Amino acid sequence: MIKLSRENLRIPKFEKPVYVVAGGLTDYRKRYPEKNSCQLCTEAIRMAVEQNDLKVSPDELRSMVNWCVYSQFADHFGDQLLAAAKIHDYLGFDPLGNIEVKTGGATGGSAVLSAAQAVASGYANCVPVVGWERMDEVSTKVGNSYIASAACKDFESELGWMYASYYALMAQRYQFENNVPRETLAQIAVKNHEYACYSPYAQSPGKYSIEEVLKNDIVSHPLSFLECCTMSVGSAVLFLADEETAYKLTDQPILLKAICGGSHTLRTADRRHMPILLLPNETEETYKDYFTGDRADWPGFSSFLASRMAAYLAYNMAGIKDPVEDFDLLETHDAFTISDIQTYEDIGLRPYGRGREFIESGDAYFEGRLPTNLSGGLIGTMHAVGATGIFQIVELLWQLQNKWEKFHADPELWHRYGKNKPSDFRNLQVENARRACAISHAGTGSHVTCAILEKP
Amino acid sequence: MIDWPTATLEVKDRDPLVVQNPKTWSHSHSYGGWGKFFLGLQEKKILATRCVNPSCAEKRLWLPPRCECPDCWSEMEWLEAPQEARIYTWSVVKYPGELFKLPSDTPLISVEIEGVCTKLLSWLKDGEPKIGMPVNAVFNTGRPTNTILDLAWVPK
Repeated sequence: MIKLSRENLRIPKFEKPVYVVAGGLTDYRKRYPEKNSCQLCTEAIRMAVEQNDLKVSPDELRSMVNWCVYSQFADHFGDQLLAAAKIHDYLGFDPLGNIEVKTGGATGGSAVLSAAQAVASGYANCVPVVGWERMDEVSTKVGNSYIASAACKDFESELGWMYASYYALMAQRYQFENNVPRETLAQIAVKNHEYACYSPYAQSPGKYSIEEVLKNDIVSHPLSFLECCTMSVGSAVLFLADEETAYKLTDQPILLKAICGGSHTLRTADRRHMPILLLPNETEETYKDYFTGDRADWPGFSSFLASRMAAYLAYNMAGIKDPVEDFDLLETHDAFTISDIQTYEDIGLRPYGRGREFIESGDAYFEGRLPTNLSGGLIGTMHAVGATGIFQIVELLWQLQNKWEKFHADPELWHRYGKNKPSDFRNLQVENARRACAISHAGTGSHVTCAILEKP
Repeated sequence: MIDWPTATLEVKDRDPLVVQNPKTWSHSHSYGGWGKFFLGLQEKKILATRCVNPSCAEKRLWLPPRCECPDCWSEMEWLEAPQEARIYTWSVVKYPGELFKLPSDTPLISVEIEGVCTKLLSWLKDGEPKIGMPVNAVFNTGRPTNTILDLAWVPK
């Protein structure tokens, strides 16, 4: 759609408040033959029910569940259709109803949205959201081809069989229009690999220099390997509940104030120019000089309408006026350094064309104005696709509950995953964090969800 | 008595047990109404579509073609698109995925064509890509792949 009607832009509302009460993760690995997918999901759900200081026993919690949501991106990776039924059975939730959600890279965000809809409508009052991905049954080359089959197979996939290339095309155009120093993009990779060093769950931690990122092997020009997300195996689980149930379960439930979705054409090619959809912190004035020089289109290849749409709805639903001011934490879907900078603009951290300032100013760092991807993100920690959007919210939940240290600093936790806590460990708990945002993202922006969490 | 199967799965590892599950079949994929586009490439034509509904605002060509208009769901007409374009963006793919039929280091390009509302993804058969560079269409009619790869571009 090029013209959006008032009804198209109706702000969603929940009939009942929705709370996030507990979260659990596994560690994330490129290959994880030691545990099958059923076992990984069990491990994550056990962490959610056993380690989140709940006021009820795991048995009691199980007896409170009345609907389940499953989140897995790609059946062909796991080579198992209806895998959700297998996981649901393994977790012992039969005969409760369940649904499996699939929206590419945004599957996790969409699964949480679906669970929130169930709780908000009164359909259910306690819902586990179980996400996982198994990407290690095939070689990396075949894996990339599997992922690229989530591009249009008739007109796109044959051109590279490589999703990074579709982002590389956006990167080139973004650079042409906005002339951002390569170093700025590399800074995002440096930051997220570094934060991954303080996560026992992380698959790709590392302290790299900007130069190392830029000199790293190129996947598809101009993106280097260190600027691209991991391909992971692992699981993440979240429990959502209505108010009454939430306070029965925990003294520290976190409100899911809003979660909204947007979309755009699967093929980047098909994105026609349209007026910029303005966020609460923007006006017509913000963009009066935008379409000058080499910029002729919006969203074009430089912006994601789906992210803008999701943020527009979620910000209005949650009463967000200025995201940098109003949020204390952010988790973006940093699949590639370029998509992260694009997202900064789409969600209004800076106006279009000025996304670089968000990272260059230091805002995006721990102790900056809006610490972003302290989890290590997709570049540093994980992209077990179906689990990713859930993982982001689990990390934010623990931050808002002031439990980051409990879930990251305990040497026992590191040992559980066969690692040693690093000697230069940094505590990344954000003091007095009240409000947080998570962006889950698919395709080259085919589906995006924006979730806003708040301390009640 | 029925015999044990003769086909076995190769064991890759024993602890934990990992077996190789071979996949060898193919899919019969129909392009449906879009087949016209792929057959058109064999006649050195780029066939695009345009909405015929007089009340629909989008009068530019769609490429990739759509048989029905996304703005009004009306049937579209087929027309030949120009064979001249400009490079809108590009990338050189260094590590393509399995199934890529071209060598690594092939430049991918998105092209802008006058009168077309989309920016078709394609590849550059010759030369170094640059944004804004004028290119002409070339067609693989000798041994067609019957995929989108049968269309490519060369510097003008």
